[in-house]
Amino acid sequence: MIEWVGRKTIAGYAYLASLATLFTQAVLDLVLPTQQGRRDTLWVIVRQVLFTGVDALPVTTVIALLLGIIIVTQAGTQLPRLGAGGLVGGIIVVTVVRELGPLITAFIVVGRSGTAIAAELGNMSVTREVVALRLMGISISRFVIMPRMVGMVLSMLCLTLYFDVVAVLGGYLVADAQLTIPFYAFVESITKALSTTDVVMTAIKALSFGSAVAAVCCYHGLAVRSSFTEVPQQTTRAVINSFVLCLLIDVAVTVPLYV
Amino acid sequence: MSGSPHHLEADLSIVAGQFVAVVGPSRSGKSLIIELAAGLVRPEAGRVMLLGQDWSHAAEREESPLRIRVGTVLQQPGLLSNMTVFNNVLLPLRYHRGAMPDRDRAQVVMAELERLGLGALRDRFPAELNHGEVRRAAIARALILDPEVLLLDDPVAGLDAELVVVLKRYLEARRARHALTIVAALRASSPFMEDVDRLLVLRDGRVVADGTREAVLGAVSDTLRMYVA
Repeated sequence: MIEWVGRKTIAGYAYLASLATLFTQAVLDLVLPTQQGRRDTLWVIVRQVLFTGVDALPVTTVIALLLGIIIVTQAGTQLPRLGAGGLVGGIIVVTVVRELGPLITAFIVVGRSGTAIAAELGNMSVTREVVALRLMGISISRFVIMPRMVGMVLSMLCLTLYFDVVAVLGGYLVADAQLTIPFYAFVESITKALSTTDVVMTAIKALSFGSAVAAVCCYHGLAVRSSFTEVPQQTTRAVINSFVLCLLIDVAVTVPLYV
Repeated sequence: MSGSPHHLEADLSIVAGQFVAVVGPSRSGKSLIIELAAGLVRPEAGRVMLLGQDWSHAAEREESPLRIRVGTVLQQPGLLSNMTVFNNVLLPLRYHRGAMPDRDRAQVVMAELERLGLGALRDRFPAELNHGEVRRAAIARALILDPEVLLLDDPVAGLDAELVVVLKRYLEARRARHALTIVAALRASSPFMEDVDRLLVLRDGRVVADGTREAVLGAVSDTLRMYVA
């Protein structure tokens, strides 16, 4: 038993070290000046932003609106019973802007784009496209990993901020239609509850989640070796590990700041 | 030297500009020689020197400048599935010769594709090509940067007799234009043998004959002669 725990712990650290190496190399490729493949890399970033960010707008809109409606409906019906009806805005800020916005956006991105990245890189590995790139002297980190990471981080940041705004809007729709809270009062309660720290922390979470998801999904995609049956296996691992890592990062950011 | 999945023990040196064919039965170590020379497999013992540099201990960052000087086509050529034939061949030029004007790059690529009979297929994706077309496109891509060394693993697989001759003439023309060292693993005797300067015959991971075609023909058993004749 102890041996098993020890083995798993070492494997866990080795996994995190591999992710950190992959992430660091991608950051170095981003910041170190070079002329090699700049246009191709930029093009991959643009495609990644279009796929991860722009194409995800409809589903993000629907989920954010529904979440805003659910939260404000619950808060708006329960809080007045406790004499705390004025806290509706605060509830939106605490639940959506601080926590659920970044997390649910990360889950959307993992489900849509993380899986796509893992499966794409997995298929590229099996068909020896990754080896072919290496043989052409094309850096896998610069040409494959870094642009996907940059595209995903940028998309995650924008989608998270968009999610927060749309969720608040969804909340207002309920507040206005069912709870008869006037627009002015609703906005005032939110602006009172919202601090600069909340916005900065949301952005930090979005950037961290984006980096983590991209690193995990690229790692698992490139971990595929010789069989197409490995592709769904690694994709599933990428999804589960991305969720766990996002939650760990969330705890690591939230607890020191708000407890 | 040993590497997955086969074992190979060899002490070889190849003179620049030579065309060397490596022949022998399946699992004799032909592909392993190509993979060792391409730096894809590290030797467990010994060294692999290529163009004066030690492949065996090269870090990944040091590989890139050397790889530009070496074109490699493996058994699975690995054309990028989301790019057309034209863009596949263009990619190394775009990546490594960013300063070259787009128009010049396009001309170089089209000239290469035409020479290999792929001009009409420039806008096709790899999934729309047959095996021989994929292989020719991969060879065009491997040679687009004018490397000094060309490593080929089974270059005639999937090619009909006519296309083998097209490829043979193409490589002859390339060698006539500038010095190109070719190491090719061949699974069966082919018209390429006529151009070969040196023939290596492998069996069970060992070199059993090494020399000109004529010398090797007289030195190997009847079974191995099938690969050479």
